[in-house]
Amino acid sequence: MINPTPSARVVPIDLDETDQAIIGLLRQDGRMPYRAIARALDVAENTVRARVRRMEESDTMRVVAVTDIEAAGYSMLLAIGVQVEGRPPEQVARELATVAEVFSVSVVVGAQDIEILVVAQDQAALNELIRDKLGAIPGVRRLTPALALDVLKNQPDWVPFHAA
Amino acid sequence: MRRSLDKADLAIVGRLSRDARVSNREIAEQLGVSEGTVRGRIKRMEEEKLIRITAVTNIDRFKDAALAYIWIEVERSGQIREVAAQLAGVSELGFVGVMLGRADILAITMVRNAEHLAEFVHQRISVIKGVRGTRSTLGVNFVKHDYRMARIVS
Repeated sequence: MINPTPSARVVPIDLDETDQAIIGLLRQDGRMPYRAIARALDVAENTVRARVRRMEESDTMRVVAVTDIEAAGYSMLLAIGVQVEGRPPEQVARELATVAEVFSVSVVVGAQDIEILVVAQDQAALNELIRDKLGAIPGVRRLTPALALDVLKNQPDWVPFHAA
Repeated sequence: MRRSLDKADLAIVGRLSRDARVSNREIAEQLGVSEGTVRGRIKRMEEEKLIRITAVTNIDRFKDAALAYIWIEVERSGQIREVAAQLAGVSELGFVGVMLGRADILAITMVRNAEHLAEFVHQRISVIKGVRGTRSTLGVNFVKHDYRMARIVS
């Protein structure tokens, strides 16, 4: 990581097998009761509670509700490559990250400088997003979009916590 | 099309989106509804795949973790769906989408470094029947991912 973020400065904790097993169960069902987790792993309920709390407080794991993009009112998902000029890509990436419809931002190496994932309600909203919001950010030279026709899988279990 | 969340659903999801371990009773008290209503609505939203309640881990906690975008072209356009379905079964991939533009399919995964990426593409992607070629992009800084939003599939 180029810029250490606030959450990256928190002291990392080591995860043992029990922690990993708890994460595994919570990935499948985030609302699984502590008692059921304890029974499945054959450990005390208080142990499970303490482990979950420790992982949450150290910013290692969170149990969250993920809303379906369509249920949230968005019908389009695009992956857009961003070429940058006259400004550090890191800065442009941070500005792109402030746009609500941009839900993922990565600084990359290759033909593009930044890769973003965006959602839009419809074609008119997409036009506005690209022209008025993304295209207007200083340093953005060129946007190369691809529209997702069908998303077969979308469950990144690994995310940066700081910007969400 | 899936139904959109109504006001009461949104209030519950809003409470769950940052810490989904909160009890039904606590949500019910905050929203002034019954515990049964909260339980029932969460169950229904999950069953209809409008929300998914899950654990996410912080990528900053993993040493040498980089995001890789893998753009895939298939031999014949008629094979796109089949290849994408096979890719969706590759456990390391967090995103698989059939695309219009840039390539036929986009797959996203997390790798340790460029060497690991090359090995992963060679062993897990290129071997899939119908894959004609790949182009990969390695992330150097994962700036944002709003985990509150995703396409819920399975």
